[in-house]
Amino acid sequence: MAQTEKKTGLLRRTSSSKKPLKEKVVLMYEEIFAKEDPTKNNPRFWDELFLMKVNLEYLEGKLESLDGDEVMKVKDNINSLFHHCVQALSEEHQIKVVNALQTLCALFRGVHQKNKSATGFDIINMLMGFDKAELRMKELMESLDSLLCGDGSESLKSLCLKLLLCLVTVTDNISQNTILEYVMINSIFEAILQILSDVSSRSQHGYDSVVLLALLVNYRKYESVNPYIVKLSIVDDEPTLDGMGMVIHHALTDYNRQYKDKEEENQGGFFSTLTSMVGSMFIADADEKLSVQTNEAILLALYEAVHLNRNFITVLAQSHPEIDMSATPAAPVPASPTTPLGTTPPSLDMMNNPELPLDPNLQTSNLLITFLKYSSIIMQDTKDEHRLNSARLCLIILTCIAEDQYADAFLHDDNMNFRVNLHRMPMRHRKKAADKNVPSRPLVCAVLDLMVEFIVTHMMKEFPMDLYVRCIQIIHKLICYQKKCRVRLHYTWRDFWSALINLLKFLLSNETILLAKHNIFQLALQVVNLFNMFITYGDTFLPTPSSYDELYYEIIRMHQVFDNLYCMVLRVSTNAGQWKEPASKVTHALVNVRAIINHFNPKIESYAAVNHISQLSEDQVLEVVRSNYDTLTLKLQDGLDQFERYSEQPREAGFFKELVRSISLNVRKNVSLSTMSQDLLLKEFSSIS
Amino acid sequence: MGDTELELSPARLEELQKSPSTSSTSSTSSLSLPSSPSSGPRALTSSSPSTSEGLPTSSPTLDVISEGVGELSLVIDTEVAKKACQEVLQKVKFLKPDGEVSSATSEPVLVNGTAHPESTNGGKPPKITTEEAEPVKSVRRRQKNNSSKQSWLLRLFESKLFDISMAISYLYNSKEPGVQAYIGNRLFSFRNEEVDFYLPQLLNMYIHMDEDVGDAIKPYVVHRCRQSINFSLQCAWLLGAYSSDMHISTQRYSRGTKLRKLILSDELKPSSQRIRREVPQPPPSCPPLLHHGQGMSEHSLSPSKRTHQRSKSDATVSISLSSNLKRTASNPKVETSQDEDLSSSSDSLELEAGTPVRLTPQREFIKSLMGIGKRLATLPTKEQKTQRLISELSLLNHKLPARVWLPTAAFDHHVVRVPHTQAVVLNSKDKAPYLIYVEVLECENFETSSVPVRIPETRIRSTRSVENLPDCGITPDQRASSFSTVPNYDNDDEAWSVDDIGELQVELPEIHTNSCDNISQFSVDSITSQESKEPIFIAAGDIRRRLSEQLAHTPTTFRKDPEDPSAVALKEPWEEKVRRIREGSPYGHLPNWRLLSVIVKCGDDLRQELLAYQVLKQLQIIWEQERVPLWIKPYKILVISSDSGMIEPVVNAVSIHQVKKQSQLLLLDYFRQEHGNYTTEEFLTAQRNFVQSCAGYCLICYLLQVKDRHNGNILLDSEGHIIHIDFGFILSSSPRNLGFETSAFKLTSEFVDVMGGLDGDMFNYYKMLMLQGLIAARKHMEKVIQIVEIMQQGSQLPCFHGSSTIRNLKERFHMNLTEEQLQVLVEQMVDASMRSITTKLYDGFQYLTNGIM
Repeated sequence: MAQTEKKTGLLRRTSSSKKPLKEKVVLMYEEIFAKEDPTKNNPRFWDELFLMKVNLEYLEGKLESLDGDEVMKVKDNINSLFHHCVQALSEEHQIKVVNALQTLCALFRGVHQKNKSATGFDIINMLMGFDKAELRMKELMESLDSLLCGDGSESLKSLCLKLLLCLVTVTDNISQNTILEYVMINSIFEAILQILSDVSSRSQHGYDSVVLLALLVNYRKYESVNPYIVKLSIVDDEPTLDGMGMVIHHALTDYNRQYKDKEEENQGGFFSTLTSMVGSMFIADADEKLSVQTNEAILLALYEAVHLNRNFITVLAQSHPEIDMSATPAAPVPASPTTPLGTTPPSLDMMNNPELPLDPNLQTSNLLITFLKYSSIIMQDTKDEHRLNSARLCLIILTCIAEDQYADAFLHDDNMNFRVNLHRMPMRHRKKAADKNVPSRPLVCAVLDLMVEFIVTHMMKEFPMDLYVRCIQIIHKLICYQKKCRVRLHYTWRDFWSALINLLKFLLSNETILLAKHNIFQLALQVVNLFNMFITYGDTFLPTPSSYDELYYEIIRMHQVFDNLYCMVLRVSTNAGQWKEPASKVTHALVNVRAIINHFNPKIESYAAVNHISQLSEDQVLEVVRSNYDTLTLKLQDGLDQFERYSEQPREAGFFKELVRSISLNVRKNVSLSTMSQDLLLKEFSSIS
Repeated sequence: MGDTELELSPARLEELQKSPSTSSTSSTSSLSLPSSPSSGPRALTSSSPSTSEGLPTSSPTLDVISEGVGELSLVIDTEVAKKACQEVLQKVKFLKPDGEVSSATSEPVLVNGTAHPESTNGGKPPKITTEEAEPVKSVRRRQKNNSSKQSWLLRLFESKLFDISMAISYLYNSKEPGVQAYIGNRLFSFRNEEVDFYLPQLLNMYIHMDEDVGDAIKPYVVHRCRQSINFSLQCAWLLGAYSSDMHISTQRYSRGTKLRKLILSDELKPSSQRIRREVPQPPPSCPPLLHHGQGMSEHSLSPSKRTHQRSKSDATVSISLSSNLKRTASNPKVETSQDEDLSSSSDSLELEAGTPVRLTPQREFIKSLMGIGKRLATLPTKEQKTQRLISELSLLNHKLPARVWLPTAAFDHHVVRVPHTQAVVLNSKDKAPYLIYVEVLECENFETSSVPVRIPETRIRSTRSVENLPDCGITPDQRASSFSTVPNYDNDDEAWSVDDIGELQVELPEIHTNSCDNISQFSVDSITSQESKEPIFIAAGDIRRRLSEQLAHTPTTFRKDPEDPSAVALKEPWEEKVRRIREGSPYGHLPNWRLLSVIVKCGDDLRQELLAYQVLKQLQIIWEQERVPLWIKPYKILVISSDSGMIEPVVNAVSIHQVKKQSQLLLLDYFRQEHGNYTTEEFLTAQRNFVQSCAGYCLICYLLQVKDRHNGNILLDSEGHIIHIDFGFILSSSPRNLGFETSAFKLTSEFVDVMGGLDGDMFNYYKMLMLQGLIAARKHMEKVIQIVEIMQQGSQLPCFHGSSTIRNLKERFHMNLTEEQLQVLVEQMVDASMRSITTKLYDGFQYLTNGIM
């Protein structure tokens, strides 16, 4: 054929010349960007185009460089290109499909990069044409859906997901991405779920699917009815939910392990820790951020699952041995023709390995444990904006968990004991607790530990007030559950109380600095009310009578903090000003604490006087406490065990908008990197064909 | 040869019949002997159950058991039994003319296997296959006996006196093929449950005795295997276990192994779907005589196909139930049904290839339970074992519900869920036995009833939020002891309703925010508005007092001990546990929901346990019959192989070791703590229970020479009964042959204290019970001996070590002593046991070596 001869001749010429190499495909692109219909000269133009290796840079660059008028001139050709891309997706020839997918990717990106200012409708018009847009997108989504659900190549599926991720993240603000309107109408939710429910596809595409889902759920979340939200909230299929949990679990475990490796690396000595700390401030910064950001997407997915889907809570407690899942790639199982036990489908990865690995050191884990560990790492350092956001999101997720009845039930389940090794920040005044000594306890202990850990490690000038409030709220919710269900948790409440008192102390001593930025009275009120919970309802959830005595002991011992707090709030509430009301609430809340102090202090003093002891021992104080309960009257405060339930809107809407924006940016960056390296994929197919 | 054997048989018979009458005052048994043969074969079939019923009810307590049992079978299963016997007799008649070889006229020459009690289609059973008809030849070959004795024997056999125990005895003792063949056929006329009790004996005889016995037994076994999956598996397991003592080379080709393979190959399918006690309508599609393979593919139509169709419809039901979404909810369920389709289609495919499917689910289930046990054994600490157990079980849960069941249960059911967090690892040094609770749904017939549809774990939540709100609030209160003076401001309902609104949020965002605002205002208001309200005052002392009272009110719960995780789980009252698990189960709302428990033992040989169970059960029946109020608790044993099995746990019971360790009290003080003071009715009842069970087990321990009696092997239940467990050392074996525990049984001073001391009435009552029990047991000694003796065949079990096991066992029944002498003997034994230093020594030894108190 003359045509092909011409082509080869052309190529040979360019390769031998000194001029920059012009690929055939680029020539073809140029034809598209000419005003002429490319099929005029070559009726098989489109067929040939998709046999060519895509030149993404050129295509994107070209699209970017077009200005408005030029665009209008070539609009028909671009529309036509888009149309043929979509058509090529249903081609049998896989190379064509791959090229079409990549071309679409380039189209979406190129158009958006150029038209930052343009409205979404312009972009749609430019790509598909208004009249055809709906049809084209329907075709596109249907093709993607069938590619994702079909038995085709895994790399192809992966590319489909990349395209979708690319499409979803082309705009900084996902809600401004008008094309997504069509993705809402033509849902690919089911395809995502199918990927997650299947073992082998989950292990390969799980991460992308989960991120995609998390992003789609956030499209115009607050303005319109997002079908993905609706659908996600009613998924009740266990294998699918488990699959989603596994993907998240895997990602978080990966992060935890990386962190641990790094930490062990750095444990050479004091100097190396110091240098690496200093070093990480400057050098490792970018790298660090990247890893945290990628996990933000996963955290967001976890949040959406926990927040929207009440069935997902059970997945959190789904225990399985901690397996290095990257080491054991889930071998694609030939669709298990006969499930041994008959009726139910195989669902978890592990179930297909008849035997779980036999490592005695292997700890049984579940998503919640992994998440708690992850949180403990994230919360260590909240200076950086990303980490602060991550920590906030972790606390929000924990808030949702603490509010859930079922979650509370398994958190407090006495039969489900685990050792959870939380990461603790190395601090000057304390040694790093030996990991192995953590006792096996109900999971709620780990949550409380994490909260206490946060409380004692973040009393700093850049006071993360918001996180503290959330932290106290989580504790409050847990205690409300314990009170309601009479769960007597054997927890070292004493450390917990002293952490709270220290927090009050910190608030007092930094009053002026903090008041400039925060409403510290709100936090103080929450803390005092926690004490009120213990004082008035302690009989319903404290583990032993002596723990109630210890509570009094602790209050009496630290009475000065409460005295000072009272003085402070009294002072502020008597002055007129913005803090008048919140401060007066604290004064009222302090009534029982003050009653205790005022009741017992004289008794203790007189005991000391009578017995001629200058310094009473703990036992002696406890003795005094025990013998003087009956003359103390407390006031029952209202609403101690009530809490405001978490709601995303309107309070958190801003946070999530920003979070999704940053995730979008990050995903876009990563997607572009990976789509570039699709040569490998092409090779795979070219060798087949 | 044959003659001498034959002469023995009647002698044995006489002995059998007379032994009770010599030892007891009753004479009814001797009366019944002549009466029943005289009634003749016809009489048996025509005699209505009511006439024979008169005898035992009017007779005194000491009666021949066989009668009672025989009647039971008549009363309950009259039709089947009648039919079977009629058939047997008809066969006799039919065969008379062509029985040229045999000189005897009334010789019970029967075609084995034709006597299917249920296949009564004019003596043309559809499924006689070559292997079943085979024995006829050999039977005929050896017919050369004189008729008078034979007929005499036959009359006994056909009398209503003849029960399963006698049948087993004759099968074992008679060397006469005719007799054996006859009994093989007679097996069909007994109720399944009766024969099931002797299944280990039957199979052991099949494996280890000569060909004739085996040939006599096989048709029955094959027939039953066709009827029941459960029976098939039981047989296969037992055959495997009891063949294991053979030499490897012989084992491979042994009859037992062959039969086991046949069963496991699942070729023994029912010819048509028969439900027990239904008179079958032979399906027209079923050709009478088919070759095996053909038959299979044909017959597979009925049972397997049917189930699959059902499960398919189940799947579609579940789809229609939960398909708000096109694919979301239903997607994997579609897969399920596809799976079903797949397996059903592959079913029929595989059937042609001869691969088993009928037994597969249950075998897989058992296999995975055993696998867990094996893996647990490799973990070093109890804590790790427990955690691993829980996670393994949670995986197992994903495959449930399925057509699987617990063979230890007394009713038909399907397992639907294993509440994995409730499972516990039991105390054992190197093995890892564990206790699991299993939620099941009772059903009519586990083979034909459809498998329940899976309800997702999460389903419980939605139901809870919608309907069971009050329950949710109340139950935790119930769990704690009585309380409530503090006003409860639970806004649980509101909380849930908010949650529900939260779900609606996606459609109606405004409502959500509004409602939330309401709540937040409310909670803030409640504090600020306090001034206006009348303040409520409470005394700090009251709070403190309530706290200590509530904690004091729950003394009977055990502490959590990581080294002994089972203590807490076992201590929790069964009823409470059932309620608690039911609450937490997505299946709990179903009316046929039941909770079962089972101990899975991996690496332990339970054959001795099974033997002990049989002996205990037999003695229990004897004592019940003789109205001796001894209390024992035989717990069911499932032997799966020679080193694995399952045990039915004794509910509401903890070991005395656990009691003492947890309570740190003497046994008597613990009784007082649990049941109240000496004079309370609760205490007295518990004490009586203790005495009755103690006497029962002392006798058991003596008769069976149960050793290794440390406190970890003796349980105490919530009613005060003691229960001995672990019969690993019985008869001729004792632990490490240290020579400890020389006393007849374990009777510590603590036990005596609970009974009210040496001079108390209860202690005398205890001794009297022992005497009565021993007399009753002795009367029926043969039935006990027989169980043990047959199992000795071909066995390498340590309990049969040496040659004098049976002789010694017999001696312990002291047939030659008068009742006065027996009384003296009991006194002596009690005395000796109490003084026995070795008991104390052994406890001390156990404390030192195993930390058992």
